[in-house]
Amino acid sequence: MEYILEAKQLRKEYQDKVALKGLDLQISAGEIFCLLGQNGAGKSTTINLFLGFIQPSSGAAYINGYEVASNVTQVKEYLAYIPENVMLYPNLTGMENLALFSSLAGFDYSKEELMHYLVQAGLPADAVSRRVGGYSKGMRQKVGIAIAVAKHAKVLLLDEPTSGLDPKASNEFSELLLNLSQQGTAIFMATHDIFRSKEVGTRIGIMREGELVDVQPAANLNANELENLYLNYMHVAR
Amino acid sequence: MIKSIAKKEFISTLRDRRFMALSIIVLLLLLAATVVGLHSYNTLQAERDAAQQTVNDQFANSEDRHPHRMAHYGSYAFRPKSSISFLDFGMDSYTGASVFMEAHKQNSANFSQAQQSSSLIRFGEMTVAFVLQMLIPLLIIFLCFGAFTQEKETGTLKILLSQGVSLRQVAWAKVAGYSKVVALVVAPAMLLASALLFGKGGFDLSGDVLVRLLLFIGSYLVYFFIFIVLSVVVSALHQRSSTALVMLLGIWILCCVIIPKASANLGATLYTTPTKAQMDADVHEEVAKGIDGHGSGQDERTEALKQELFKKYKVSSIEKLPVNFDGIRMAAGEEHSTQVYQEHFDELTDIFRKQNRISEYASFLNPYLAVRHLSMGMAGADFDHYVHFQNEAEQYRYNLAQGLNNIQTTRLKYGDKETRLSSDTWKEFQPFVYETPQAGWALTNHIVSFIALFMWLALVSLVGMQLIDKTKIA
Amino acid sequence: MKKFWILIKFEWLNFRADKGLLILTILTLFAGLYGIYYGTTEINRQQENIAALDVLTEQNIEELKAKYPNGTDAGDIGYYHTTFAVNHPDSWASLSLGQRDVNPYYIKLRLLNLQSQLYDTENINPLKVLSGNFDLAFVLVYLFPLLIIGLCFNILSVEKEQGTLPLLLSQPIGLPLIVGAKLTFRMMLVLGMALLLSVVAMVWGQVSPDMRVAFWLSVVVLYCLFWFGVAFVVAALQKNSAFNAITMLGVWLLLTIIIPALLNVYIAVKQPMPQALELTIKQREVVHGGWDKPKRETMDKFFALYPQWTDTTEIQGRFAWRWYYAFHHLGDVAVADLALDYQEGLQARHQLVEQLNVWSVPVNVQTIFNAMAGSDLPSYVSFLQSATQYHDSLREFYYPFLFNQVNFTNADYVNEPRHSFTSSPDFATVHAGLYKLALSVLLVFAVGMLLFRRIKASVK
Repeated sequence: MEYILEAKQLRKEYQDKVALKGLDLQISAGEIFCLLGQNGAGKSTTINLFLGFIQPSSGAAYINGYEVASNVTQVKEYLAYIPENVMLYPNLTGMENLALFSSLAGFDYSKEELMHYLVQAGLPADAVSRRVGGYSKGMRQKVGIAIAVAKHAKVLLLDEPTSGLDPKASNEFSELLLNLSQQGTAIFMATHDIFRSKEVGTRIGIMREGELVDVQPAANLNANELENLYLNYMHVAR
Repeated sequence: MIKSIAKKEFISTLRDRRFMALSIIVLLLLLAATVVGLHSYNTLQAERDAAQQTVNDQFANSEDRHPHRMAHYGSYAFRPKSSISFLDFGMDSYTGASVFMEAHKQNSANFSQAQQSSSLIRFGEMTVAFVLQMLIPLLIIFLCFGAFTQEKETGTLKILLSQGVSLRQVAWAKVAGYSKVVALVVAPAMLLASALLFGKGGFDLSGDVLVRLLLFIGSYLVYFFIFIVLSVVVSALHQRSSTALVMLLGIWILCCVIIPKASANLGATLYTTPTKAQMDADVHEEVAKGIDGHGSGQDERTEALKQELFKKYKVSSIEKLPVNFDGIRMAAGEEHSTQVYQEHFDELTDIFRKQNRISEYASFLNPYLAVRHLSMGMAGADFDHYVHFQNEAEQYRYNLAQGLNNIQTTRLKYGDKETRLSSDTWKEFQPFVYETPQAGWALTNHIVSFIALFMWLALVSLVGMQLIDKTKIA
Repeated sequence: MKKFWILIKFEWLNFRADKGLLILTILTLFAGLYGIYYGTTEINRQQENIAALDVLTEQNIEELKAKYPNGTDAGDIGYYHTTFAVNHPDSWASLSLGQRDVNPYYIKLRLLNLQSQLYDTENINPLKVLSGNFDLAFVLVYLFPLLIIGLCFNILSVEKEQGTLPLLLSQPIGLPLIVGAKLTFRMMLVLGMALLLSVVAMVWGQVSPDMRVAFWLSVVVLYCLFWFGVAFVVAALQKNSAFNAITMLGVWLLLTIIIPALLNVYIAVKQPMPQALELTIKQREVVHGGWDKPKRETMDKFFALYPQWTDTTEIQGRFAWRWYYAFHHLGDVAVADLALDYQEGLQARHQLVEQLNVWSVPVNVQTIFNAMAGSDLPSYVSFLQSATQYHDSLREFYYPFLFNQVNFTNADYVNEPRHSFTSSPDFATVHAGLYKLALSVLLVFAVGMLLFRRIKASVK
């Protein structure tokens, strides 16, 4: 079958170091792939390569069958992205921000629909028409989630999406992810959070110094085993 | 502690390659402006000296002439450039260089540089003053805009403050460090300028020039200091470097580009300048009520003058007067017309002063204007020096005309239009020599700007620093 | 294309919400309106002053009529009668005052020698002319670039600095579209304002509606585009906002102040003008020498120029007006070379400016504006020439009275020629300037495109 998200010998070098050493990866619809790893392991590089923000040194990333580097604009119709720290236009309201990004993705929602997505993402209803400049980090993160959900994308790329969310919001977010995956969305999430990975992930990958050192189906492991596995790899690294 | 922060600023600035490149450009412009200014000064001064010498010689060696013919032949006053005007052309390019001085008539100062240029000259001239007034503040802004914001962005401010220094101490330390950097850029040019001024350039080293130069340099140092403190304060009041920079650049544009032009234009709109034609007509009308020096002598005032002389010398006819009535009538006419003209000229300069006052008072809104006026004043290139020259020329013209009238009165007979006096007579007249007034005089004309500059110094140092205490750290 | 308009719509929302930008824009708009007000009042004042000159001439004639009720020797009239050569402003002058405040716009003339009268100046406040005119041309040439810089210096860098670029680029749009939309929005805003102000100025100043409307508007558009091109080049360098602001202001400073100042120096060195003082000294020497020369010699010289008066009577006695005016005219003839040299020097200076203005787009644009408004040096030189011709016609009017010794009566004043000169636009300069301007715009956008392709954009 066709994979929604695929990397073939994907490699990224900078002048002084190799950030990603030939990644091979396939993710299908409805799958939630969680990528664990330390800071600088190459998780963000992988996401940026799938987003086309940086060019691979060799190999290729594919989204919905299209090579990212040569179809930079087209592939973005199939993906949604939530960065670690969602930054928005401070002078616009939450709703205006969502309206901008949705309309760029091709969706012209009514006010009610916009409101629905924002509230669904957990933003308090009274904050919707306030300027984003006054939002907390968590509130911005929720607008970011609303933007991603409202795009109805086949792929969701997440870079530490729960940082800055309180435990309750974090939990709601996990449910949202499960919900989306049931509808067939492929989710690729880079994270530090071992327990949440175990909770939502279908597969879990461990990355170290630019290499995907292990991939396990989440069902095969319990949380403790996963932590030991992870720490073990990290220990080897030292 | 403060010393070490100042030192850190100084050293890290010197290591900033981009800043060094800009400083070198500014320094080169400053040196170029000094050389260019000196060249232009020498050219114009030589031109005017030669012209003055020529007309002086022509007058002294003039042919044998009737004294009143000589009064019409007249002389010229060419305005010499003040010795430190090579640093600041001021208004010199817009003021006339030559005045023709003849009997009965006050002529305008003609042939300004601006009239001999296309509109390109309105973009401004490359002078030391231009670099000091406009470019150095920009360099200062570039140097200081990140003074606090950068420390906030990198978080070093919190660490710094946790070491037990106050915000105000940090601010003063930074001001000290930046002042040192600015001094490094400005000092070579100032030294070169002084050396050129007092070196072999042909300037006479008089105490007055020294005082003017010191005041000139002093007001710029205060000006730079104001900009340094201002920039540091603005930086402290902002959270991000880019907004602090935009704010400072906005202030610069307002101070150096918009307000100077707007205030001068506003002055001219508020107080209407009479045309020269109208002024001449008014003078003519008023003079006509007095004695007509050239007239056939039928009017009442001439008659009164005649009767007065008859009484004085106890005679009954003009022919019997021991003095030449032609000369006396001419002198009386000249006295009257000069008085009328002077009144109108004073009115005109008064209108100009009122117009300029708007700009002077705008110094309280804008330190650039304060230093610009002071600088022009010290360079001898301001409005007051120009008026002073015009008045000196008019004084000389009046004395020349009356001297020649006196010769006619005492050495020629009444009705004698034929006798020609030898050129030795003309040698009795001292040629026109213009003396630049004293530095103290120049300073009193700019007392408003002087006060404004020090008000700015006090404002940024006291109020500005108080604001720094309220800056948001986190 | 739809996404382009979405971006533009949101640029508008962002702009509307940014107080700083709003204030900047409104300030520029008010500066423009003040510039228009100032320009029109200044030109109106000049027109009123010119109109008042007719009154002065009439008063002078009335005075002379009263003084000589039965007429008199035309020599007296030539000596005491003053008239004016006037330089009417072109209807476009209020948009760009140029040198009209520095150069006199009227010359008071008597029948005496011309060269001692031609260069008399008007009462001008040197501080005011030093500070320059706050007319519409100033607002467009100086302040609009600053507005463009203020609007564009962080066009791309702000998206990086506030962190919105990754999210924006995760949508199906490319960087060129984003930059294009941002520039387009700002262009619509700035061009809208510039064109609006220009049209307001044209209506307010009641300009003659000719080709210049099109020329002016195209110059305004091209000039704004040039500065947007500069913004594009700087944005293509992919640096931070502070760097961009300083670089763009640096370019502005270089083009509007430093280069013009350096060009001034170059022109002063390359084309010095020592003729003026020489001219003024020499004409006095020649004219006053006339008194001391044998009358026959003077008259012979004069008759060589004007043979038609040769047969007039021999001059007897100490003084005759026709001899007086003859040696005055010979004074002008003696310095004709110098006077021509002076005027050619002025022309040469201006031509040099026209050659050198390729180095600075603002200088080029100012030159075009002044050429359209007929307010620069060449039109002053034309006025000097026109005044010279007027003086010639005055002499021709008075010579029959003087040489045929006809009494000048009160009825003769109406026949005296009057002068009127209106500055005319210099279309050659406008054409050449437009061509250069268009090239500058192409050049700057070409460089921008090249840099934009060459330098890889980073998202953060």
